[in-house]
Amino acid sequence: MRNRLKVLRAERNWSQADLADKLDVSRQSVNAIETGKYDPSLPLAFKIAAVFSLPIEQIFSADEVAQAAE
Amino acid sequence: MPRETNPKIISNGRRYMGNMAVAGVLYTAAVFGGAFAIRNEALPQWAAILAALAPLLPALLMLRAYAIFLNGIDEFQRRIQTDAMLIAAAVVGFGSFAYGFLEEWANFPHLPLIWVFPALIGIWGLAACVLRLRYK
Repeated sequence: MRNRLKVLRAERNWSQADLADKLDVSRQSVNAIETGKYDPSLPLAFKIAAVFSLPIEQIFSADEVAQAAE
Repeated sequence: MPRETNPKIISNGRRYMGNMAVAGVLYTAAVFGGAFAIRNEALPQWAAILAALAPLLPALLMLRAYAIFLNGIDEFQRRIQTDAMLIAAAVVGFGSFAYGFLEEWANFPHLPLIWVFPALIGIWGLAACVLRLRYK
């Protein structure tokens, strides 16, 4: 799964620690999600969407969908 | 790489260390007290059984500390912990199984069962460190 977490975070000028605090997770978890090493659960994905005030599909996309769009 | 800043995660880690320290002190006291009593006193069988099982209580306190810690971490950290536990269970389980055959069929020296649990904990800790580094 791909995500735009790093870009969205940079647009808001948030550090990984800032986002981790907002999501109530560890900074290492944010890093793992951003780098695509860990796919979040559905509840956490919804929480991320709520923090960025965006629909979930504007943040996450399946690898095949992202490749097709490129 | 910045350190962890989430206060909830930090306090959960500190609580875990505190609980483990208390359980560790009690465990050390139970092991040394039990060993001293068994070597220096002519204990009846029931007292020897009690002394031998006494370290189990602080070991259970350690398990409780770990369960509390596991409930206080996020899903990604929990994934690391459960993966590490699976690796430790697989290594120790298959390792002791294989060594059992070697003992029985190839005359390897007998190893006491007491080492199984420390091996499980040690390999779990090592696996957790390696997995954490992998996700850094």
